Amino acid sequence: MRFALDDQPVDFVDGDSVAVAVVRSGQHPQHGGALCLTGDCGNCSADVDGVPFTRTCLTPARPGLRVRRHPAVGGPPLQLDAPKNPVQSPVHAGVEVHRRHVDVAVIGAGESGTAEAARLRADGREVLVLDSGNGDDVVGVYPGPLVVVRTPEHMLHVHAHEVVIATGAAEVHPVCEGNMLRGIVLAGAADLLRSKGVDLGTTVTVDIAELARFEGDDGRVSRVVFADGRTEACDTAIVASRTKAPRDLLARMVSDPNVRVVGPAAQRFDLPPAPVDGFVCPCSKITVGDLQMVWDKGFQHLELVKRAALCGTGTCQGGVCMPHLRSFVSDKQGVEAAPFTGRPASRQLTIAEAAADVFLDPFRRSALHDEHLKLGAQMDRFGGWWRPWNYGDAMREYWAVREGVSLGDVSTLGKMIVTGPDVVEALERLYPTTIADIRPGRSRYVLLLNERGHLIDDGMVCRESDDRFVLTFTSGGAAFAEAWVRDWIDTWGLDVRIMDRTISHGAINVTGPLAGALLQRVGVAEPPKFLQHRHAAVAGIDCHIMRLSFTGEASFELHHPVAHSVELWQALMEAGRDMNITPHGLQALFALRLEKGHVIVGMDTELDSTPRRLNMDWAVKMDKPDFIGRTALARTADLPDRRRLFGFTMDGPAPTEGAPIYVGDRIVGHVASTFTSPILGTAVMLGWQKHEPWADTVTIDGRPATVAHTPFYDPEGARARA
Amino acid sequence: MNEFVETLLELTWHEPKSSYDVVIIGGGGHGLATAYYLATQHGITNVAVLEADYIGSGNSGRNTTIIRANYGIPESIRFYQHSLDLYSTLEQETGCWIMHATKGLLWLAHTESAMRNERARAMLNTACGAETVLVDPTEIKALVPQLDLSGGGRYPVLGASYHIPASTARHDRVVWAYAQGAMQRGVHVLQNTPVTGLIRDGDRVVGVRTATGDISAGVVMSAVGGNVSQIAAHAGVRLPVRTHPLQAFVTNGYAQGFGPIISDTELLCYISQTARGQMLIGHEYDRETSYSLQSSFQFLQANAIKMSYLLPFVRDLKILRQWTGRCDVSADFSPIMGFTDVDGFVITTGWGTWGFKAIPAGGEAMAELIATGRTPELIEPFALSRFAADHAMADQGSTGTR
Amino acid sequence: MHAPERLDGLRVVATPDALDHAWFEGDVVVFRIAHDEVIAFGAVVAEVPDEHAIVERETAFVGWGLSYPEFDDLVARHVEWPLPTERPALAQGMAAGLPVKLWFEHDRVLLVVSSGFAHEVVERFRLPAFAESVKKQDTRRMRA
Repeated sequence: MRFALDDQPVDFVDGDSVAVAVVRSGQHPQHGGALCLTGDCGNCSADVDGVPFTRTCLTPARPGLRVRRHPAVGGPPLQLDAPKNPVQSPVHAGVEVHRRHVDVAVIGAGESGTAEAARLRADGREVLVLDSGNGDDVVGVYPGPLVVVRTPEHMLHVHAHEVVIATGAAEVHPVCEGNMLRGIVLAGAADLLRSKGVDLGTTVTVDIAELARFEGDDGRVSRVVFADGRTEACDTAIVASRTKAPRDLLARMVSDPNVRVVGPAAQRFDLPPAPVDGFVCPCSKITVGDLQMVWDKGFQHLELVKRAALCGTGTCQGGVCMPHLRSFVSDKQGVEAAPFTGRPASRQLTIAEAAADVFLDPFRRSALHDEHLKLGAQMDRFGGWWRPWNYGDAMREYWAVREGVSLGDVSTLGKMIVTGPDVVEALERLYPTTIADIRPGRSRYVLLLNERGHLIDDGMVCRESDDRFVLTFTSGGAAFAEAWVRDWIDTWGLDVRIMDRTISHGAINVTGPLAGALLQRVGVAEPPKFLQHRHAAVAGIDCHIMRLSFTGEASFELHHPVAHSVELWQALMEAGRDMNITPHGLQALFALRLEKGHVIVGMDTELDSTPRRLNMDWAVKMDKPDFIGRTALARTADLPDRRRLFGFTMDGPAPTEGAPIYVGDRIVGHVASTFTSPILGTAVMLGWQKHEPWADTVTIDGRPATVAHTPFYDPEGARARA
Repeated sequence: MNEFVETLLELTWHEPKSSYDVVIIGGGGHGLATAYYLATQHGITNVAVLEADYIGSGNSGRNTTIIRANYGIPESIRFYQHSLDLYSTLEQETGCWIMHATKGLLWLAHTESAMRNERARAMLNTACGAETVLVDPTEIKALVPQLDLSGGGRYPVLGASYHIPASTARHDRVVWAYAQGAMQRGVHVLQNTPVTGLIRDGDRVVGVRTATGDISAGVVMSAVGGNVSQIAAHAGVRLPVRTHPLQAFVTNGYAQGFGPIISDTELLCYISQTARGQMLIGHEYDRETSYSLQSSFQFLQANAIKMSYLLPFVRDLKILRQWTGRCDVSADFSPIMGFTDVDGFVITTGWGTWGFKAIPAGGEAMAELIATGRTPELIEPFALSRFAADHAMADQGSTGTR
Repeated sequence: MHAPERLDGLRVVATPDALDHAWFEGDVVVFRIAHDEVIAFGAVVAEVPDEHAIVERETAFVGWGLSYPEFDDLVARHVEWPLPTERPALAQGMAAGLPVKLWFEHDRVLLVVSSGFAHEVVERFRLPAFAESVKKQDTRRMRA
């Protein structure tokens, strides 16, 4: 059986790792460096089937594998090729994640791990042993504790009450002149290679404490020079070390009372002698000379040496160099240097493996999604939902609202029922507006402020009875608002029942001068008057009809059980066919509301927009005893305030939203929303002036614009009330 | 010999004294840059920088090294553009190789509302002197052929704002460049010197307490990251700051092959290739406040999938290391620089995820403030007093956070 | 494996004690989704001993009935948290990034999500979508 190493065949036998097979063929998986074959160093890592930095000692040899050595100098190339099928979702990449919940996870099946597992089992504990011998590569121990494992088949997440790190100790690599030659193996590797029947030729075994240097020809070791001056010729040099270094990367990664370290991994060990020559960090090709140079330049701290020399920041994360680096620094500073913090990944994983079975936030679809698509809608995501941006012609939709009748899908609005003995008190505290004087059957536009008095949302309060209200919130703000309302009412300890209806109710806005007439055709003989609301059947479907106006025309929001959205939508479209009923998307809606000067929270408002800055003091009743934000508004009421949202008009086409507003050559603010209004024959805008004195005439897009009162359209509101 | 090592210059350490004209708490980029500019621009060298651990051990050594000025309010754009300009000449000025590279930064937009924001960003940036243009998918593809414009079939790219002068520099080397320049001119940098308290004389701060003794000072500046709320509390100053963990990770190092910086306005993650060849991926800060430096696997998962959607080639790259820093986030997502209402105690904080890019301008301005006793015009908008005055510098959308 | 079914019923918010003593007419599966909130699938009439109780018709959920082998194969490995062992039992949480409710019966598991996420369930768990016929066949009209 064969695989390819740099396009040349390499024979292997069953049970070989790639590294073992490469050594068997008389070669080295890199260009030199001692091999441990236990996954602790990076000296055998290579590109395996297009994945560089794969530890070949942990990779079983398979026929047809394509192994490539990394370049001797510099990193392997980035494979930037476009994928074969770019639209294929990486979600289905093939790697699966499996999950286990266990009492105890023991990492390591060596002596200490086996003994610990046996002891725990004797105590009746359920134990999962993660064994690197079976290919369990532990990536990291994370808070939880959560142990993330790469197994040969899949990723494994182990949730354990307790984690025992029993990773044992690793042999120490030689650091001396010649340590990057080929043909140097650690004692454990030599045993493994012999057990696999690999011919090591003439071997010389040297204890690391007695090693002076390696000498070689053509990059391969040929002589071992001992500290006492002896020289022995060899084909393979075997390096033994009496003390092993704790394999403690995982232990240094986590601080969690439920994670213990046992056995050699937890033991203190004697640092090797301070290195004087050779490569300390093979991964990053850092020599003892490099360490000496940075030390001499004033980088006299383990972390500074590490960062300045980049020692210990390569593939093996200090597996090879940490004992020597610590020894170097300890020797200089006269105090033993503690090891640096461990960071995941202990064993590397690919980004695809990290991404396995991961899903991001879902996109919500309203119940009318397919209806919109059938009508040719261009959908856009807004506030976490897919919503119609337009149905092909936003201006046609605009005119349908202004002159006929139109439908808008407002199912995404936040909706909530609140009731209970303290409900009025709760709402009085939540909103800056007066609530108690809203009569049943009536509704009121409200602002929602935070403790700083800044606007965070807006909506409607509909009173159904003395102690029952329906609240609405913006689509994007709904999730936050629900948590906000619940948290505050809980905090106040008020006796209020809260039911969120955001996903449970669909809502269709019927708007336009013919909206009332359309409702009459579908069973609502007397549509509610402006700011009234009531429950009634529409086309046979139970609806809560709210009469309001965001578009500037008569508008009826029909809130209904979401399972009936399609039926209701189709009935309305059918009933309005001869009225040329046309649904409108967000693009038209944004234009329509702008003509009315209605702000959209988050689009026109900023993080710190007070009602005063929005000219909405009318929606705030400072004579109420308290509401969220009142303290801040009272405190800031007399402070100078140079920020205001203004309406502007100008001739010609509307400038791009966001354009800076100039007075002379000074930027005084920006336009938030703009629209070239066909019905007004002018461009209308909402924009900020943030420097006093506020100007009546400003320059936007190189053209003069004039401050104008809002609403621009139908300032008396006659159409909304009609 | 390794080029990273060869080009280092020298750090010259001094024995501590018991009194300085200026004591700066925090030996990160901002503290050391302030000391550097005090020495180079104002001739003030009787200065100590006290570092609890080693220089650059905090967020200066944990950030993701991006330098940009594409903010959303004029005050910020001007400040960060000045910083970007100072960075571009820092190697010349200090003689230190900071591995500065101009790369250009794409902020991808996937929705109409995101496009609206990026359009606005490009216009305002340009008007305020930070070169940013709106680019369409065809132009994006030409700049980054590796980008999957379908966003994995889930996040189609509608366009981007392209901030042309955006660059990167090696974070440690920026710290060392300023440290070296300051130390050469006589500034004392004292490592392993945590500050345990402030010394008050009446209403005035007149020095600091450390484990190794008191140090008196004409002015004390806090340039602390992470523990700034505690340091300020010693002076009786309450800060509108919350501290969140910020995580990042790198792959192994590959040959150079990916030029630009890509950032995503919706997925709130970004990627660039470092001078060492590693692909560096970062994200918005963790939602929960914490001083913890532990990394999470969820972070790795979320960013791995996001980057796989945008840049399919990253899927086979091996993850080397993830780590965590601390972000001091102010109430308006802008920095806080300048005087406090306690005499003798000035502060630079609120550096959130945007501290590294501000090191030169922040240091220069704070040095001028200390030297002259007046707030430079560039940082006037960022005074701590703005919160009490209700004049926030709100610009959340430019910070890579939400 | 079956196409999903629309689950209609009543959603009730009341005091925890009142919910402990609530009565629903008919063949009803009651999900206690919070201390003060239940969804009673199949319910048309409810008696809840709380004069301020909110009782509303609920039509926002769809469910996939899965055999245990199907559940183990398609869903369980996406669940990061421990699953209940008693039967019947309700578990709620995120699975594959979606908010799901899992109802464990003796011989099957009902995977319930709000209908706005149904398309994501199909993609993420690779479960069958609504057949067109199922979509049109509306469930019983109910009234609180």
